[in-house]
Amino acid sequence: MGTFIQQVFNGLTVGGIYALIALGYTMVYGVMRLINFAHGDLCILGAFVGLTLLTGAAGSGHSGAVLLLAAFVLAVVVIAAAGVVLELVAYRPLRKADRLSAVVSALGASLLIENSIMLIWGPDVHVFPGDLLPATTWTVAGASITFVQVMIILASVLLMAALYLFIHHTRFGTAIRATAIDQDTARLMGIKVNRVILTVFVIGPALGAIGGLFVGIYYREAYFTMGWTYGLYAFIAAILGGIGNIPGAMLGGVLLGLFNAFAAGYISSSWQDAITFALLIAILLVRPTGLLGEPDAGKV
Amino acid sequence: MPGISPSRSAPKSPARASRALWPLLWVAGLTVPAVLDSSWVSIAAMFAIYAVSALSEDVILGRGGMFDMGHAVYFGVGAYATAILNTSFGWPILATLPAAVLLAAAAGALLAGPLTRLRGDYLLVATIGFNSIFVLTMQNDPGGVTGGSDGITGIGVPSLFGFPLASQSAMFWLDWVVLGIVLLLMRNLDRSEFGRAQRYLKQDELAAGTLGVDARKVKTQAFALGAGLAGLAGTLFAVQLSTVSPASFVFTESVTLFAVVIVGGPGSVPGVLLGTALMFVVPQIFRDFAQYRYFVFGIAMIAVMVLRPQGLWPQRRRRA
Amino acid sequence: MSALLELRGVGISFGGMRAVDDLSLAIEEGHIAALIGPNGAGKTTVFNMITGVCRPTNGEILWQGRNIAGAAPHQIAALGIRRTFQTIRLFPGMSVFDNVRAGCHLRARQRWWQGLLGLPAQRREEAALAERTHEVLRRLDLDGAADEMAVSLPYGLQRRVEMARALVVQPKLVILDEPAAGLNDAESAELSQTIFAIRDSGVTVLLVEHDMNVVMNVTDHIVVINFGRKIAEGNAAAVRDDPAVIEAYLGRDDDEEPVA
Repeated sequence: MGTFIQQVFNGLTVGGIYALIALGYTMVYGVMRLINFAHGDLCILGAFVGLTLLTGAAGSGHSGAVLLLAAFVLAVVVIAAAGVVLELVAYRPLRKADRLSAVVSALGASLLIENSIMLIWGPDVHVFPGDLLPATTWTVAGASITFVQVMIILASVLLMAALYLFIHHTRFGTAIRATAIDQDTARLMGIKVNRVILTVFVIGPALGAIGGLFVGIYYREAYFTMGWTYGLYAFIAAILGGIGNIPGAMLGGVLLGLFNAFAAGYISSSWQDAITFALLIAILLVRPTGLLGEPDAGKV
Repeated sequence: MPGISPSRSAPKSPARASRALWPLLWVAGLTVPAVLDSSWVSIAAMFAIYAVSALSEDVILGRGGMFDMGHAVYFGVGAYATAILNTSFGWPILATLPAAVLLAAAAGALLAGPLTRLRGDYLLVATIGFNSIFVLTMQNDPGGVTGGSDGITGIGVPSLFGFPLASQSAMFWLDWVVLGIVLLLMRNLDRSEFGRAQRYLKQDELAAGTLGVDARKVKTQAFALGAGLAGLAGTLFAVQLSTVSPASFVFTESVTLFAVVIVGGPGSVPGVLLGTALMFVVPQIFRDFAQYRYFVFGIAMIAVMVLRPQGLWPQRRRRA
Repeated sequence: MSALLELRGVGISFGGMRAVDDLSLAIEEGHIAALIGPNGAGKTTVFNMITGVCRPTNGEILWQGRNIAGAAPHQIAALGIRRTFQTIRLFPGMSVFDNVRAGCHLRARQRWWQGLLGLPAQRREEAALAERTHEVLRRLDLDGAADEMAVSLPYGLQRRVEMARALVVQPKLVILDEPAAGLNDAESAELSQTIFAIRDSGVTVLLVEHDMNVVMNVTDHIVVINFGRKIAEGNAAAVRDDPAVIEAYLGRDDDEEPVA
């Protein structure tokens, strides 16, 4: 029983992180039908930006909580700005081009960001400081839950709730949903589609930066290829929930986190990723629109 | 018809000139070992190998319009088939070649079963998944035949009529002849009903269906052909390096092949060759700056797409 | 005499909406038949079911007595049924010649590997198919435009190219979805002659059309549907005077221009 509860908490923590990153993929896909391959790398860039502040200010005498907050704010601001630049430079000029051009541009942006991290911070694994947060651990039904886990789960839930309210209960959220359904009609209705897309490139990377920093804090490490690894997992989460569907990304993240946590307990770790990918392919074949996506209506 | 410029006769003479140009360039390439030093010979050999592999990706992605982002799988199947058959079973290299082609083609046809049921981005994501599964499987060394992360070393040299093609130049000629054959196949593909059926499907699948084009069949054949040619390139690759390991077939390689086709010009043989030269040969020349390779790739991919979304050397309109 | 194509109780629903309901009709070989009805009556859906684009939820579609409901479009094409589309669907990146050539796909006997090897037999077949394509282009007076990009042509010519693509292999039945849409008066008068010529060459014709001049002039048999159901059937004169048809087209308001 203890192990089971333990895996649930581990799974929820990782799932919360996946969900935060997955939201960026799914929102961009929703409004412009583009897999933003650079998103995972942006998120990990956020982890590095935060890490730089944390290590740079290590001896400044501020408390861990203040430093951490500052790291999150800096990461969010820098990555949201990077998201905007990405959209303006790499994607907006290709709005009318063949979609493959945008895909290759996204792949180029991914390589560019990943290798920028490598050139700036080097190819080595960076260790996150471990003394920023209380080392408090609670024991619940035989499972030990750390402060970091509770923080990540709570923060993810709060952020997702805020996003959900924003999307479903504000005028701008309605504009985003309308653009996702039909860009051209949205434009005819007077919605400024470019502004909607730009906003999505602020919100997605901002949430992703928080997710990326959580990755660093939770695993206490960061390295330049990490964006690909976690990005792919988050992307699978987005597909699992139904790409383009915001609650779907949240659900998919949590389910994938739980799946990974339990798979780690029962399946040899060297095959675990292969099984995750097999799961991905199975979902695509059985229900490509994911758990919460609407099945495609056959159209002629 | 006002406003429609291409007249029937005008563009023909340059086209005819370029038709004669390509075989000449290929023949000129044969002299590389005689006029350039050995490092250039191996660069030219790698160009030929990657060109075959990029052209094979073009069969599926450029001509077929199917977003295959796991093409390194078929390249890898060919390379591993040659490596395993040669080192574990003692087959001569040239005897492994047809086996590698057939195994890769079979893998392509097999994966095409589920893949052709998917469209666009879903197909792309599924191929990424297959690529990852392939690499993880090779790393996990099932049955102890793939050598795990270290791969397989000590692959032999091919011999022709008892003469070992051991020298760098001999291997180059082998690669170059294979490239020549593949270029001929691509030319024939353009002029065959199979190649046209691919174009019909890519441009309008519904209309193609009502004309009798069997989409599943044509797509499966395209996957088998593209995969088989990639397997051919895989054999050459294994022989050239005399070693194979999972790292050569990771997703990044698939992305590069994908980008070569789109950046060069989908469906365009000169475009794909140009893309191959830029993405695989240029980095060999600037080896001292190896850590900047993907950084520069990234910038180049964005820049080319933004400035020339149709590719550097797009496919020209052709008569069937 | 058994019908070439017969629909028996065919119906289809889209997400609970009954688009076509219990529709029965028969088309005799060598006839020119028309399916007419107000906008949204389900005419194109009927075409889509016949050509395998969508699968009927119930009923039978009999081709020379054999049920073909639910077969894939390429299997339907192999029976000798060809169609055009209401929204013209020419291959956008291809010339007129290449578009019409595409209609020859099922005539090509070459296997894919024969094409790759470029064997002499394959080359001869290529030449023969090209010759057949030119012949049809000449017949439909399109040979002057053979090298133009098909989608850059005026609308009327594009319709004719699509028709040529459907006719190039001499099908048994050709289904024309609003062939007169977007044509000017001269062109639509010419269209009637073209349709007769198609019939005279031994091809049965089924058309959906709004242009009542074309329908009334050329058809042997008319089926009228509204809201997915058949409301009348017969020759031009009978259908024209049928009160149900008049009502379907005009409602109870007599302001609009009368049918035909």
